Amino acid sequence: MSPTLTAILICTFAPLAAFFVTYTVMRNRPKASAFFSLAGGFASLAAALALLKAGPIAEPLRYAWLTSGETNLFFGFLLDGPNLLMGTIVAFIALMIQIYSLGDMAKEEQGRFFPLLSFFAWSMLSFVYSSNLLQTFIFWELVGLASFLLIGFWYRKPSAEAAAKKAFIMTRIGDVGLFIGLILLMQTTGHLDIVHLNSPETIAAIPGGRLTLITLLLFSGIVGKSAQFPLHTWLPDAMEGPTPVSALLHSATMVAAGVFLFARFHPLFLASPTTIDVVLSIATFTAVFSSTMAMVALDMKRVLAYSSISQLSFMLIGLAAGNLFAGVFHLATHAFFKALLFLSAGSFIHHHGTNDMVAIGRNGGRSMRWTTLGLIVGGAALAGLPPLSGFWSKEAIIGALTVGGVPVFIALTYAAAFLTAYYTFRMICLVLFPNPNGQLQPDEPAPASSGDHHHHGDSPWTMLLPIVLLTIASAAAGYFGFFVDQTLDANRELAHHASWGDMAPAIGIALFGAILAWVEYGRKGASQTGFVSRLPMLQQLFKNGWYVDEFYQRTFAKVVEGISVVSAKIEDKGIDASTDEVGKATIAFGYSSASTQSGYLQFYVATAIVLIAVLCYVAGMGS
Amino acid sequence: MSIHLHFFLLLSLLIFTIGIYGVLIRRNLIGILIGVELMLNAASLNFLAFNRYVVTDPAVGQIIVLFIIGLAAAEAAILLSIILRVYRSHRNIDADSLTEMRGR
Repeated sequence: MSPTLTAILICTFAPLAAFFVTYTVMRNRPKASAFFSLAGGFASLAAALALLKAGPIAEPLRYAWLTSGETNLFFGFLLDGPNLLMGTIVAFIALMIQIYSLGDMAKEEQGRFFPLLSFFAWSMLSFVYSSNLLQTFIFWELVGLASFLLIGFWYRKPSAEAAAKKAFIMTRIGDVGLFIGLILLMQTTGHLDIVHLNSPETIAAIPGGRLTLITLLLFSGIVGKSAQFPLHTWLPDAMEGPTPVSALLHSATMVAAGVFLFARFHPLFLASPTTIDVVLSIATFTAVFSSTMAMVALDMKRVLAYSSISQLSFMLIGLAAGNLFAGVFHLATHAFFKALLFLSAGSFIHHHGTNDMVAIGRNGGRSMRWTTLGLIVGGAALAGLPPLSGFWSKEAIIGALTVGGVPVFIALTYAAAFLTAYYTFRMICLVLFPNPNGQLQPDEPAPASSGDHHHHGDSPWTMLLPIVLLTIASAAAGYFGFFVDQTLDANRELAHHASWGDMAPAIGIALFGAILAWVEYGRKGASQTGFVSRLPMLQQLFKNGWYVDEFYQRTFAKVVEGISVVSAKIEDKGIDASTDEVGKATIAFGYSSASTQSGYLQFYVATAIVLIAVLCYVAGMGS
Repeated sequence: MSIHLHFFLLLSLLIFTIGIYGVLIRRNLIGILIGVELMLNAASLNFLAFNRYVVTDPAVGQIIVLFIIGLAAAEAAILLSIILRVYRSHRNIDADSLTEMRGR
């Protein structure tokens, strides 16, 4: 076996092995289970780093999996630039979150939690490294399954169970489109090999209308997975899961899978201008739309969830604007700072026993020094302030869009960038500068018991270590842009080097948002009411998520309910009733024939003799 | 003068008919058992007669008859023990009163 093959096998199968071992024999031994999961995580990160160091390989390592007539399906591993980068990030974030879970999930059912984390890591890594769209699709669904299981980890809580089901069903709506697109692609081109599908000859051979249809269908899967409008509603609800799960879900796995698929088929998407327009309109709208909801939410995890939606939109904007580097770079930096933000939020929540930012702030949130540092660095990166990583990647996206972009899209993107900075600093200010006299009341006060006895000090080191490492990564990742660019495409010239003048609008807008948030929430004696509250109607609209959920409940849910009522009737009155009739007839026949069984021994004997006589007679006639 | 095959067959038929009659008419289980034994003996007689007059090799029919005798002995033993159990539980070996297995 070549070293590359060994490395990729270790990278993908170490978490799977950890999953099997821990899930089968260590259900009731949390320590051993955590140890094996972490070992699997370490092994896959080491292998991913080794592969990244060895550099991209254009040809996939592939093996025939299915041959039917002229069609060959090859499964295997593709080790080109985007895959190597993404795989390393996934392995790194997964390991960080496993370490963090040692502390955060200490009192939970670890024997079930760690195997599922390993399963999640395996699905995502296999998804990233796969060389065939069908293989991609299989692991795409497994990622969905893993999220379902983890969001519903606290399955005894009805809201968690409902959120898990919602996540599964909402993403499934998009996946149906993706699967149809996959079949059409198979039918049009005759194969599903990723490298081959992205080659200019293949793309040129697909008729224009067909190409638009296929890419739109593929995009519908991405809309579901990456929680873009109108299939975004599952993501905020997915906050019902444990915080480490949210961190994993939002940074490097699940939602990132959608954007990654787009990056994977970048040339294919770019070939259809109609699709690109659709992508840009949905992404820019979603970016602003989700930011508006983030600026009124008080639940810390919910703010972060909405911010994920808008950052995913940013990535799609960058990719759709034609810049692969910008999208993938933002995907990478976002993975770091979003994981950091979630872990910091989780540390606060773990310590103070509430999700509410106002309550955390009043309960002395900022006394947790390391966690607060993580929150500030992660928040500033999310807001896009220099010199942190988020600034560089977001700037690349805005730069890509402003070169010949449609003014509406540019305006919306700037608005989203402004709102992102605003709600991020609103969150930071609420935690750091509590104002007990302010008008803002917590939705969910901290439980009284968690007040005094562990008021001081920070979370355990298992939780702080990942936070510190991710803080460093979030701060530094911005300077590795050239490395990302080189890995993505070694032959290309380096992406545009923006001058400070070009960057000025992006910086200005982010700063303006941050300062506005400070004026409204941070400074001494601030009223802690946002500018939206001047328009109560608008605030209600944002607070209730633009009533999208209500709309779905009143329309689609009603239609589905109607269909299920009718089908239940058909099942009950038709299928079920007819099988009942067959059973009843059998019983009736049995009762009626039972009366021939008189119980008189000699009656039976006589019958037997008569029948034998008849048989002998008939047989005798024949011969 | 020799005795013709038909006499043996007629005798066998007579015994067999008596056996069937006994099985069908007797109400006592032991009477039914005797009927069954008669039927078996009629069959044995048939075999011997055919063996004597028709088949050239004389051994086959006799071997079969030996088997039938063994079978009849075993059958009688089993049936008698069953009848004994029936008597112990029901105090009665009247076939017409043992109708617990009827359909309804």
